[in-house]
Amino acid sequence: MPKVDVTVEVCGMAGDGTIAAGGLINEALSEGGFSVLGFDSYPAEIRGFGRCVTHSRIGNNEVVALGDVTHVLISLDDEQSRSRVPFLSENSIVIFDSSPAAYVREDSSIAGEVEPGTLLFGMPLSDLATAASGTERGRNLTALGGFTAICGIPSELFHRVIKRRFKAKGEKVLLANLNSFDAGVTYATQNFSERIRNIFIPPGQPHGHENVLLSGNQAIGKAALDAGLKLYFGYPITPATPIMEYLASRLPDRGGRVVQMEDEISSIGAVLGSFYAGVRAMTATSGPGFALMTELITHGVMAEIPAVIIDAQRGGPSTGLPTKTEQSDLHAAVFGGPGDSARIVIAPTNVSECYRYTVKSFQLAEKYQTPVIILTDFYLDNRVENFPIPQAVESEIENSNIFPRSSVKGSYNRYSVTESGISPRALPGMEGFIFAATGLEHTEKGTPDYSPEVHTMMSAKRHRKILGALADMPAPEEFSSGNIMDVGVIGWGSTFGSVLEAVNMARGRGMNVGALKITSIFPFHLDVIREFMNRCSHCLVPELNFEGQLANLIGHLHTKDVVRLNRVTGMPFPPSAILAKIEDLIQTGDE
Amino acid sequence: MAQEHCVIIGNGPAANQAALTLRENSPDMLITLVGQEPFPHYRPHLLPDYISGKLSENDLYVSPTEFYKRSGIKVRLGQQVVNIDFCSRELALSHKEIISFDGLIIACGGRQRIPERMQVFEDLMLTLKTPADAAVWIDRLTQVDSVLIVGGDLTSLSLTKALLSLKKRVFFMLNEDSFWPVPLGTEVAQQVRLRLMEKGVEVLESGRIRRVARISDVRLEVETDWETFKVGILGVFYGMVPDVKFLARSGLDIDRGILVDEHLRTRFDLVYAAGDCAQVYHPGIKDYWVSIGYENAISLGKVAALNLLGGMYAVETAPSSIFTVDGIVVNTSWWLEF
Repeated sequence: MPKVDVTVEVCGMAGDGTIAAGGLINEALSEGGFSVLGFDSYPAEIRGFGRCVTHSRIGNNEVVALGDVTHVLISLDDEQSRSRVPFLSENSIVIFDSSPAAYVREDSSIAGEVEPGTLLFGMPLSDLATAASGTERGRNLTALGGFTAICGIPSELFHRVIKRRFKAKGEKVLLANLNSFDAGVTYATQNFSERIRNIFIPPGQPHGHENVLLSGNQAIGKAALDAGLKLYFGYPITPATPIMEYLASRLPDRGGRVVQMEDEISSIGAVLGSFYAGVRAMTATSGPGFALMTELITHGVMAEIPAVIIDAQRGGPSTGLPTKTEQSDLHAAVFGGPGDSARIVIAPTNVSECYRYTVKSFQLAEKYQTPVIILTDFYLDNRVENFPIPQAVESEIENSNIFPRSSVKGSYNRYSVTESGISPRALPGMEGFIFAATGLEHTEKGTPDYSPEVHTMMSAKRHRKILGALADMPAPEEFSSGNIMDVGVIGWGSTFGSVLEAVNMARGRGMNVGALKITSIFPFHLDVIREFMNRCSHCLVPELNFEGQLANLIGHLHTKDVVRLNRVTGMPFPPSAILAKIEDLIQTGDE
Repeated sequence: MAQEHCVIIGNGPAANQAALTLRENSPDMLITLVGQEPFPHYRPHLLPDYISGKLSENDLYVSPTEFYKRSGIKVRLGQQVVNIDFCSRELALSHKEIISFDGLIIACGGRQRIPERMQVFEDLMLTLKTPADAAVWIDRLTQVDSVLIVGGDLTSLSLTKALLSLKKRVFFMLNEDSFWPVPLGTEVAQQVRLRLMEKGVEVLESGRIRRVARISDVRLEVETDWETFKVGILGVFYGMVPDVKFLARSGLDIDRGILVDEHLRTRFDLVYAAGDCAQVYHPGIKDYWVSIGYENAISLGKVAALNLLGGMYAVETAPSSIFTVDGIVVNTSWWLEF
């Protein structure tokens, strides 16, 4: 089977139906058996202006990152799409509206921008959509029809997803969309028949298992439901809001509640309250909201109350870049807040892991009586991937609270100092126990005590507990031949996909390199990471932040300085940039 | 003309040579090539060897896209000029984009000439002008074992050779008046027939195609003046005609092609025509003539560009370009008849 690795972009102005078109491409090609990774970028403004771009990378092998180049660009607005031209591959395909409302001056059309070799397919999108459905609103579907015919994709795949998407809007809307789509197929078939054969994308083989296409946010929502979430408290913020939206339409059916709170402080407060009472709860926010939560997160640390918090990172600091991706909350997640407030921080690297580690976070929070922070980012939250329908691990769904034995009734110490640091926790209402929760330093019984001995003992207990959690946390994964390497690349969060792709490309070119994936950000597997680093001549840490926040955390483990590769462009890390640095390190040794 | 914008309509040898000459002589000029076909500049005479597998698709192309970038020549491929306004010095593309120009060279070439009586069978016939046409031939040839070539021009002779190398059974119907645009004398036509037969081609009695019908996915039934027989592909080759329909209402003087003087000037200032689309005035014979052939087109493209830059060069009208096809000598440098 020929290798398929195609990146398709749809670009238009907000309101053009760009995101909807990109979503349909992802769904249809996922159903066609391809591996799909999709990501949308859009303006911070609500609607009406600004550039929207959807990126869909489609392959018949697993796709782990967005590509560096675009093979097919569907332009719904040339003024916006011209910015995408530099990313077009050689011999790329550009589908554009050849019949705009009015004549445009030279170079306002994308046709004047593209390089020779680009295959231009001008389609009168508005005219075709209007003729087919009575309105030009379906021109995005008409463009998809053209794309389908030009690239040799069976129309039935799109028919199926269009029906699913628009069925709820009634027969008239569904028909208008189907007709608009078919008009594009017909036009392209009739006009471009001689030009489509070399750009055919053969349909993929069935996966052999049932796949699901989810975004990172949807995967987190689904995981929370599967993990027995009862209460969600949140305050809307980009890019975390879709989690609340997902749960709002599903959690009530499972007997739970979604409550929009007045702010992020009350959200985390309510989550702590729920867990205090033994009920699984969650909140999700982004950098600015997370900053507001930090005091109460440390309250959870001190009072040893579980909590699950999603920090969907975006460009910062402050309000920052609401619709741009960044990995710059790592310091805040690990260290944010007053005092020595160690807590668990996990950063999934793909959508599948968003599911796995959200489920896991409830188990960890309950077992280790601590806030657990899941660090995602705009790219991971919004990107869609298809993967086998996830099944939660039974032991992770079960109540993981460690309750006191009934024999200790009467002599129960809420904060008893144990070897593991875990103090069995009685829930309010359990007969014969006293319930304590305090943000003040306290004795084993939970009474305030500020003596040096108690503070030292309790600090050690809390840190011992958190470090002990490492045994239940995901271990780093190495992708190498396992020996001495010229360059070892350490990746975390959404950047890891780009790391893996770059390393695979480098290995394909005969370079002696490897990758290490770190998902447990705190505590972290110090010995494994050190052992990996010390097998590398150069240790490279690419991150989407300016300061090199993971490098700051683990850099001291290497016998020499780690090489930092930092970007704050608001866009995902391009694999080519990592590959270029690897090559540079190997060729020149220049750090 | 320094710092000004010259648009060249076309992407064949005349157009590309014009662009190159402009760049060489005017480093600062903005140059835009607008080609209707989506392909980079290719050598059409190599298409038969591409079909036979002797050459790869890349071998067809003259310059890599990098060349244009390096040369600062903007190339718009797959874009069709639909109107030219010589007063405002603007042209309109089919996708509603307006391009302004200071100088214009029209070198839009020709299109396949299909005699009117054959046009009714157009969807059952193949021609060969572009790499896309070649791809269709390649695809169809995997399914059939016989081909009928009708009409006949230089391309068809090369294609016949390619088909024989692919072990296809080739029928050839050659008419003396159909070796278009070159008037084929009886003597040369007889030479061509003999040469074809020597190669193993089954040369049919000259005549007209009366009827063509598809009888299966891979079989056509063709009725001529003399016989009816079945064949896999029907290829028709009647040469090229200037592709100037889009200029009909532009104000340019058009006969079959664009009428230009011996300096390739049209009636509009700084507007020139070159290559297969131009009908060039010959002061000696006081009539218009048309050139064919790759090398001739290059020569005309160069003259047009030099004159646009202020030169006063006249095109070479002597019959200097004589070439042979399979040993048959053909003079194609100029002719008067369409």
